[in-house]
Amino acid sequence: MKPSRLFSVLSVILALAFVLSACSTPAAPTVQPTTAPVEPTAPPAAAGETITVIFPKHEADIKGAFESRIKEFEKESGITVNLIQSDWDSVANRVVPELATNGSAYDVVEFDNGWVAEWCGAGWATPLNDFMAAGYTDGMIPGLVDLFSCPDGKLYGVVWNNDTRFFHYNAAKLTEAGFTEPPKTWEEFTSQSLAAKEKGAVKYGFAPFWNQEWSLGNEFHFWTYAFGGELVDDKACIVMNKDANTLKAVQYMMDSLTNGVADPAGLTYNQAAAQDIFLKGDTLFLPQAIAGLMAYTKDATVSKVDGQIKIGLVPSADNGKSAALTLPEAYAIPVGSKHKEAAWKFIQYMTSKETNKLLAQEIGILPIWVDLFSDPDLTAVYPFWKDFQAQLASARGLSKLTWYSDLVDISTAELHKALSGQQTAQEALDAMAKQLSAYNCVP
Amino acid sequence: MRNPLKSLSDNKRTLGWALSLPAVLAILGIVVIPVIQSLIQSFYQRDLSRPQLDAFIGLLNYQNLFADARYLHSMLATFRFSLISVIFELILGVSIALVLNKNFVGRGFVRGLMILPWAMPSIVNAAMWKWIYNADYGVLNALLTQVGILDQYKIWLSDPFWATALIILANVWKETPFTVLMVLAALQTVPDELYEAAKVDGSSAWQSFISITVPLILPVLMIVSMLQFIWGFQTYELITIITGGGPFSTTEMVTLRVYATTFRSLRFGYGSAMAYLTSLFILVPVVIYIRSAYKKVVEY
Repeated sequence: MKPSRLFSVLSVILALAFVLSACSTPAAPTVQPTTAPVEPTAPPAAAGETITVIFPKHEADIKGAFESRIKEFEKESGITVNLIQSDWDSVANRVVPELATNGSAYDVVEFDNGWVAEWCGAGWATPLNDFMAAGYTDGMIPGLVDLFSCPDGKLYGVVWNNDTRFFHYNAAKLTEAGFTEPPKTWEEFTSQSLAAKEKGAVKYGFAPFWNQEWSLGNEFHFWTYAFGGELVDDKACIVMNKDANTLKAVQYMMDSLTNGVADPAGLTYNQAAAQDIFLKGDTLFLPQAIAGLMAYTKDATVSKVDGQIKIGLVPSADNGKSAALTLPEAYAIPVGSKHKEAAWKFIQYMTSKETNKLLAQEIGILPIWVDLFSDPDLTAVYPFWKDFQAQLASARGLSKLTWYSDLVDISTAELHKALSGQQTAQEALDAMAKQLSAYNCVP
Repeated sequence: MRNPLKSLSDNKRTLGWALSLPAVLAILGIVVIPVIQSLIQSFYQRDLSRPQLDAFIGLLNYQNLFADARYLHSMLATFRFSLISVIFELILGVSIALVLNKNFVGRGFVRGLMILPWAMPSIVNAAMWKWIYNADYGVLNALLTQVGILDQYKIWLSDPFWATALIILANVWKETPFTVLMVLAALQTVPDELYEAAKVDGSSAWQSFISITVPLILPVLMIVSMLQFIWGFQTYELITIITGGGPFSTTEMVTLRVYATTFRSLRFGYGSAMAYLTSLFILVPVVIYIRSAYKKVVEY
């Protein structure tokens, strides 16, 4: 072979190896639907076993409360926990490929509410009914149990983060702007924002987190719900481009960026950046804040608004109804786990009423057990929980679809294009419906 | 009885194979087999969340890719990102290497410092630039406003032109040290006598650079530019963290499409086809470039 040809061939092989080793996808395992028989229960966990647990760091967990509880679990059970924690995206990027390839690297994994339909279809998680005693979920918030149950009626995840979002406002700035009550409608939300801005109390009404990323899908759901709209109907048929309220929601989002209500930089912000601006006192409202935000307001290193923040109801649309988003996250056991019994012991401990109460006391996480909301020890520490009650009744989850990822992928791109002024709200919704048409009425 | 190890070491050919075997097996396991599996998978519809639809579909995934406007746009965006990055990395890399090849006080320290951006984890690098470009509190806006270039803060990452330019800047900042290191190593092999002889013949510094330095470091420049071009196509964290592919998908690179399709939408067949087609797109310019550049090296 001539040297030049040899050189070319080697270069080609080198290039192929570099590119494909990065882009290549592992072989997909033959997956079983959840209706398929599940392998028998694993043998009892032995002390000295090691389990690998991966879930995101809770936003309010500034002092490592989860880690402390896990250390207690290790002491009590004799099971060693190899804990992996990072931000949600990084966790998702590790968990989904691992489960998709039927891996056994993790024993307890993050199970996001947006993944339920997909995981049920793919059969990636172990049914927890195989481990838990009858009546185990009695006393848990029923909606959280239903959300993580598959069509076979079995439970596949136990919620560790009852992540319901609440409307927070800066009462001091609102008073400075001449208002005594938070907005009850979106019109009032606009007028109060502009008034506060004009009086120099704040820079903007709110800073949205509308960067083109996964969480923009959450925002799309929230604003749609807040205006009484729908993305799909109860048969999973696409209605987003035919629903007048959904159109109103997208139009409001677009208008807020141009009329001065929203910080236009929000087009490039994630949730942490938007929250940061609110905590600096530069915005009046944070329409969908985490339940543990109050803990941040007391931290002088990140907040200038201690004592100024209150909780209200999300303003209502024409139908007079308020709506909020709930994004619970659960623990699940992958089917590939080799330590299922130990993994269940971990889940049981970390979601028990005792641990749930301790975590609530320490960092303000919302309980998953109904009676903890009226526990005097907790209501004494979190008097504002009474303000949560009204909103909890109207909180809704994300669309439960096997094609949820496609919905997010396509809707975030089209929505961002509309928010950037590159197309109208109706064009954006039509484009979404057109690109998702293959999934129309597919649950 | 003959010692099998001795007979193995006596036969150089067998010994060569035996010593190479672990590396060959490792390469087979982590490169060759996944590459072949991906190729096979690209001919299937394989949606993990809808396993009932799995079927052999031949070239349909590839056919669909040519009609997938978002994928084609991501290819163009990636090509532009990689090419511009390589050009700047080469110009800056060679310039800095030439300076660092001279004798000056603190040269060792500066050389060490030079590697810092390259040694920094990609995620840290991306997060750092994300904050620098922050529209409300970023250093870039503060700096440009203070020196009077800007009247008011600009939302850099919401403008397609600036978003593209700034992710290229962040990439060039991180990747240039690699070029510097490679070129610096190549420069050490150029004999001083050549420059001295050229000087005696009346050659200027620029003429010496063009006629002596460039031809002698050309093989290294070829390899470096090819690697940087391919690495440009592999960039993921930088884009995900700084822009997420926005504004409105204008900085969406092909890696983001492959990832979203394969690991978010769980369409492994289509994702594999995407990876293969991307590889073919890269191979064409790489092969043309290598062949023409190799000819030049041989001529010299």
